[in-house]
Amino acid sequence: MILQMSGIQKSFGELEVLKDISLHVDAGEVVSIIGPSGSGKSTLLRCATFLERIDAGEIRYMDKAAVTTDGNGTAEYVHHRELNEIKRYFGLVFQQFNLFPHYSVLKNVMDAPIHVQKRSKEEVREEAMELLRKMDLENRADAYPCQLSGGQQQRVAIARALALKPSILFFDEPTSALDPELTGEVLKVIRQLAEEKMTMVVVTHEMPFARAVSNRVIFMDKGVIVEQGHPEAVFGDPQQERTKQFLRNYQR
Amino acid sequence: MKKNLALLLTAVLTAAAIAGCGSAAPTQGAPAPEAKEEAAEPAEEAKEEAAEEAPAEESTGAYVFLDEDLGVESYAIGFRKGDDELAEQVSGAVKALVANGTYAEIGEKYPDIKDYLCLDAADIDTASLPEEGSGDSSYTFKHGFDLDYPPYSYLQDDGTVGGFDVELCQAVCEYLGWGYEAVPFNWDAKDMELNAGSCDCIWSGFTKEGREDDYTWGLTYSNNTQGILVAADSGIKTLADLEGKIVGVQTATSAYDMLEDSQADLAATFSELRVYETYTIAFNDLKAGAIDAIAIDMTAGSFLIAGENK
Amino acid sequence: MSLSTMLTSMGAGMLRSCLIFFLTLLFSLPLGMGVMFLRRSRIAVVQWITKIYIAIMRGTPLMLQLLMWYFGPYYIFGWSIRGYRFTAIILGFSMNYAAYFAEIYRGGIEAIPKGQYEAAEVLGYSKVQTFFKIILPQVIKTILPSITNEIITLVKDTSLAFTLAYNEMFSLAKQIAASQTSFMPFIIAGIFYFIANYVVAFVMERIEKAMNYYN
Repeated sequence: MILQMSGIQKSFGELEVLKDISLHVDAGEVVSIIGPSGSGKSTLLRCATFLERIDAGEIRYMDKAAVTTDGNGTAEYVHHRELNEIKRYFGLVFQQFNLFPHYSVLKNVMDAPIHVQKRSKEEVREEAMELLRKMDLENRADAYPCQLSGGQQQRVAIARALALKPSILFFDEPTSALDPELTGEVLKVIRQLAEEKMTMVVVTHEMPFARAVSNRVIFMDKGVIVEQGHPEAVFGDPQQERTKQFLRNYQR
Repeated sequence: MKKNLALLLTAVLTAAAIAGCGSAAPTQGAPAPEAKEEAAEPAEEAKEEAAEEAPAEESTGAYVFLDEDLGVESYAIGFRKGDDELAEQVSGAVKALVANGTYAEIGEKYPDIKDYLCLDAADIDTASLPEEGSGDSSYTFKHGFDLDYPPYSYLQDDGTVGGFDVELCQAVCEYLGWGYEAVPFNWDAKDMELNAGSCDCIWSGFTKEGREDDYTWGLTYSNNTQGILVAADSGIKTLADLEGKIVGVQTATSAYDMLEDSQADLAATFSELRVYETYTIAFNDLKAGAIDAIAIDMTAGSFLIAGENK
Repeated sequence: MSLSTMLTSMGAGMLRSCLIFFLTLLFSLPLGMGVMFLRRSRIAVVQWITKIYIAIMRGTPLMLQLLMWYFGPYYIFGWSIRGYRFTAIILGFSMNYAAYFAEIYRGGIEAIPKGQYEAAEVLGYSKVQTFFKIILPQVIKTILPSITNEIITLVKDTSLAFTLAYNEMFSLAKQIAASQTSFMPFIIAGIFYFIANYVVAFVMERIEKAMNYYN
């Protein structure tokens, strides 16, 4: 099991965003998380990637504990050195890409492997070029992010995340900031990764995509997982009233 | 930690500065003409008070002039070249004020310069003087002066402009029936002010020597001696003792001119001639021991000493 | 006095003005970085003291601060200030400009989108790496125009050193103008400042251009 989140609780002040959520992801799984905005799905992803601290619950990657909860019910994070080790297991692709604007495409992809993982430049360069080829961006290696379209930028961001060789890759609404005609090229790349059995968790509003690509779909609303299962089951025959309503609204 | 200390020190120093100056911010350079007096006031206050802020030194009245002086100069009223008629009229009025005793009366108020007033009622030929009220009453005489040159012209404790020259000029205007307008300026800009017509004369302890051809000169009404001010316990007794010492002087003053010109040989013996923007700062440096002596005219120097003993 | 004599006598002052200028930049640019970190400190007392420091440095005239730096040690602690003049001038200028630079840095850092920090964090960059590799280069680009303004002001502010009887170029110009009853020294001074600022603007423009490879 790659990711194990259990009993996750998170509040922003008075507002309870995540109410006792549990999520397990196995190797090779592609999990889509859908739900109305404000349902907590992005927050769940940010908690999984330690961008937000959880209030209570447990997070484990590859059976290594990152967060545990003691008897008092407060979350305890492991020492930051261990946490940094654990961070190597995952990558995150942001809605807004968050590429480094002052680095070329190639440097965006190469910099972290070289300076964070301390790998050799030659080796990293080869792999980075290979990744860019895969993203169909090899001829833009020397361009700067500002010279690329949104779709191209997002593909660079995916390459950047993959360059660190994560065991699991998170996507936080990867196509929401893109013009409709550009979403296809990004979704194509994710689909390709799914075919290569990359473990992925995708928060998305692209229902047809979620249905076609995932092994499992999770529907979240108001901080809880309402329903989850095989995409055909969730989309074709939703059991919960809230799921039905959400999907109905979406098809209109 | 060191950085914190440095910051704290800055805060303390600057807080002390603000407290010491009564939140009056000094202004720099020449104030705008229409706001001259108001703008110049805080600067003056700040400087004066900064001088008074000094803790009482171990020896009071510890500053003296050397017996030897640098030379004597005469103070006169400078007019634009060619303004002979105006110079004549003002000089005549000054003479009339000498004759009727007003000149001596004003002099009584300024004990520091009383001895240097060189005009005597007995010497005045009263025959050719202008009549009282003979001037054009619609005319306003614009008196240009340095606001930082006590006791000739300066900002008084009550915030108004005063000094011997200011009072005498006001008396001249009153005598002739003119209006009086004070035009305090930056001393460095005096020639530009005069030539631009923003004032009609430079009358502010204005030395005639060396500038004979640059202006139309009115009456010489005061003499002044340039001297060397030192701490009484400094061991400096003669001009020769200044060898290897640091001497301060204010820029664009007669003392400075003398050290550059007639007393250049003496100045060459100093280890350093330090030029200040104002004597107030120079005097602070003398008190702090950062310099050994100040070259200054006797009246301005006496004023500084008197302020210290107040 | 001939023009060349005038230029020669003002030349020493020009060197002194340049010395103040370069030393102030040398100290205040990095010092401002330190002040900015203190200003953004999570410790409330440190933040508070830094805020007061910046308020005082920006809220009082530099001329007054110079007097404080120079005469302060004597009047407050009774220390000898002989030979301390130049140090006080550089100290006064550097501490003052550091406050301005700190605020410029802070503005630049706060303009960097949060996503840059988050991306760096997820990619595993350390805090130090994040600051120097990701944030600072972007900050420098955004704050360059404000820094240029400050530097140009500094060129002109060097004349304030005369407050502490340091004979930089402009005070010499005033002295020569007074003794020669001539306007020429002021014109020379004006040309000097203009050329100095032209060079500053030119250099800064080149740096800005060099950083224009991205938006």
